[in-house]
Amino acid sequence: MKKKLVAVLLAASMAFGLTACGNKDDSANNAANNAGNNTNVENTEAAGGSDAAEGTEAGAGAENAGGSALNSDTGILYINLASEPDYLDPALNSSVDGGCLAVNSFAGLYTYDSTGALIPQLATDMPEVSEDGTVYTVKLKESQWSNGDPLTAQDFVYSWNRVINPDTTADYAYLFDVIARNGDALAVETPDDYTMVITLNSPCPYFNDLMAFPTFFPVHQASVEAADTEVPGTWAQEAGFVCNGAYTLESWNHDESMVYVKNPNYYDAENVTMDELHFMLSADDTAIYAAYNAGDLDYIDTVPTDEISSLNGVNPEFGILDNLGTYYVGFNVNDPLFDGKTVEEAAKMRQAMNLLIDRQFIVENVGQSGQVAADSFVPLGMADGNGGEFKQADTSYYDAQSTGALMVEDAKALFEEAGYSFTDNGDGTYAIDPAINMTYLTNDGSGHIAAAESMQQDFAVLGINMEIKSEDWNVFLENRKNGNFTIAREGWLADYNDPINMLELFTSDSGNNDMQLGKGSGESAPDWSDYDALIKEIRNTTDFAARVDLLHQAEDMLMETGAVIPLYYYNDIYMQKPNVDGIYATVFGMKYFMYATKN
Amino acid sequence: MGRYLIKRVLLAIVSIFIVSAITFFVMNAIPGGPFNKEKATSAEAQRILEERYNLDKPIGEQYVLWIKNLAHGDWGVSLHNGRDIWSEITSRFAVSARLGGMAALVAIVLGLILGSIAALTRNRWPDRSIVFFTTLGTAMPSFVLATLLLLIFCLKLGWLPVWSSSSPNYVLPIIALSVYPMAYITRLTKTSMLDSLGQDYVRTAKAKGVPGWKVIFKHALRNALIPVVTYVGPMVAYILTGSMVVENIFTIGGLGSTFVTSITNRDYTLIMAVTLFLAILMVIANLLTDIAYKLIDPRITFE
Repeated sequence: MKKKLVAVLLAASMAFGLTACGNKDDSANNAANNAGNNTNVENTEAAGGSDAAEGTEAGAGAENAGGSALNSDTGILYINLASEPDYLDPALNSSVDGGCLAVNSFAGLYTYDSTGALIPQLATDMPEVSEDGTVYTVKLKESQWSNGDPLTAQDFVYSWNRVINPDTTADYAYLFDVIARNGDALAVETPDDYTMVITLNSPCPYFNDLMAFPTFFPVHQASVEAADTEVPGTWAQEAGFVCNGAYTLESWNHDESMVYVKNPNYYDAENVTMDELHFMLSADDTAIYAAYNAGDLDYIDTVPTDEISSLNGVNPEFGILDNLGTYYVGFNVNDPLFDGKTVEEAAKMRQAMNLLIDRQFIVENVGQSGQVAADSFVPLGMADGNGGEFKQADTSYYDAQSTGALMVEDAKALFEEAGYSFTDNGDGTYAIDPAINMTYLTNDGSGHIAAAESMQQDFAVLGINMEIKSEDWNVFLENRKNGNFTIAREGWLADYNDPINMLELFTSDSGNNDMQLGKGSGESAPDWSDYDALIKEIRNTTDFAARVDLLHQAEDMLMETGAVIPLYYYNDIYMQKPNVDGIYATVFGMKYFMYATKN
Repeated sequence: MGRYLIKRVLLAIVSIFIVSAITFFVMNAIPGGPFNKEKATSAEAQRILEERYNLDKPIGEQYVLWIKNLAHGDWGVSLHNGRDIWSEITSRFAVSARLGGMAALVAIVLGLILGSIAALTRNRWPDRSIVFFTTLGTAMPSFVLATLLLLIFCLKLGWLPVWSSSSPNYVLPIIALSVYPMAYITRLTKTSMLDSLGQDYVRTAKAKGVPGWKVIFKHALRNALIPVVTYVGPMVAYILTGSMVVENIFTIGGLGSTFVTSITNRDYTLIMAVTLFLAILMVIANLLTDIAYKLIDPRITFE
């Protein structure tokens, strides 16, 4: 009898045993599913788990001498973006992959065209904005839900108020903070069924972009109220729910496939060229890549890490998309490593380490897909909210091409100013006194660890000893958020095209302020109240030209702490069959499939 | 027999209860939480979610509440995406069980046949080749085999799709899942078959002029089955609950991958449900194994 009990207990303990071997795949899985940002990049980097990637491409050309196999269903696009989405309810989704599904099956007031320009979707025109920039009037087209119900301005009001209702627990509810409130409700009036008058707290240069973001898409009130009796989002957890976009979800085999078919009630149905979208639900990049090569998929946005170098620039089916985001490294400013230092000395230590990192090496050997080495935190190509681009040639904080070996002397000088001394080892390396031993925190993922190893060697030149600790995704997030680290890997993909989206991460009360700026009482941590005040001023300023200067000031302030070390700007890879055309993506990672053609 | 069964069922309930308690407390002790996300959930949302799912209560009380709900047939909803746990588990299990059931059947039938052939042709070429392939089968991890199958049949030969939204391919995953247990059963059958072939009762049967096939199937194989049954019971339970590796490679939405993702997500309600489900299945499999002993060998008593 004892034996049976042991067997049963073993079954229970498996639950915990399995975490150890399941990690690699699942961090990828997780990153793809619930990381609100940089999912695509995480996906390719973190999923180095499957050991047997080699060889899959060998069979690629077997069927089709000219390239990989093609399939001949011209009306169906076969796609892989990620594994099972958590929520299809646009209010609750917080992943980029879920956002891609949302933009293809829901329609908002505005959307993006293939050039990345903002265009009206359900709105008739761009909004009419009052002189003081706070009142937006939007006229709606007459359109219908997929079940034929009319879609009116009230649907938007209901949907938006649903997002900000605390019980909905929507991750992106804060995006609505720019809209003024009438009590608990948003200050959005509907003088008639097809007009919305939206009052903002203060002028907002990116409000039009927000109205194109999936969280601002309408949901069908009757469906939601009928199904969401216990927890929000239930109404869209199985196929067949009511939506208003180009496609409706016809079938959903969890963790296997999703079939979207054209919605005849979509306002622009006549221009939708692709009849059906079939999604493979998988995060196993070996399987995804094999399915692509076998001709079972037409479009994928992840390949095994080992394959990138053999595809980039070699295979014409491999492409790169720009993303608005930054892969970076962060220091915990309250870490004991900085004990006994002044604010300036601590900042100098961090800046010195910033200069030691050979970014070009990381981009070429770890990133491998043409990323641009970063010399600022706000990513390249981001708008400044005043009609221009935020990052200019003269706004770099260091020369990203030459950090590393060329800057060892500068870094050494900074460390000396911070109270350290060096002895020359005679072989180009130095020993630092007093010794610095620290640990780099990252989640599992071959790319993240390879980047860390590269930095480990860069730091070793000055005798700094850095160990690398990789943790299970969930534990990593918790430790990083709580400041249980000295130095950690970080990344942020912008949700909308304004520098405030990057800079507001670091206000004292932000949940994403992993660097713990303004959160501790350590003597070496910078006083952060000025930064908080500055961000507040940026949010309330009415003069957009002055706002650009304030944004630059905030970035200066952030970079001066040295707590944030940008490595490169994110981009996103994809592979697309040569017989497919017309798929486009935004810099936020949203992909639009409805106007695609296949022959 | 009846009394024995009642005793066994009662003990099983106690075991399952203990499993649930251990899982619950260990699960809560491991670091991480169900609402950790890269873009942090706001403090208010976090509070509302914890309240909604009773995570704000002391851990002991949480466990009592969970047991209470379970007693009312309420498995709760996933903390990760709000889906109903019971329908989630049953639909996933249906997938895994269909796949695993076929794989187990293939493994048992082929394993017994090959094992018997090997025993009867001892040291001749059929035996030699069977031993070669079973050694290979037990040595090769399922993910290597699965990837190899994918490479040969989907990419090189193009006979089967890697993934299909209309007609998912079950042939390769069944092979990937059944090769190891089949090889194991073959070896077990061969060894114990050789053992029983040397027994007096087989010699007696032969001496009495019983036909060769009857000697093998009625006398030798039947007695050779006991060690095989010992292995098959838990193997079936294990294979029915799915394999994460095979499910991932062949894009199958079974229980195996659900189990692993529930743990990485710290989806407490789902972890509890899957563990409990697995434990019950194991207990049932063990019980059936014991009953099978009795049916195969009347000499075995339960006292």
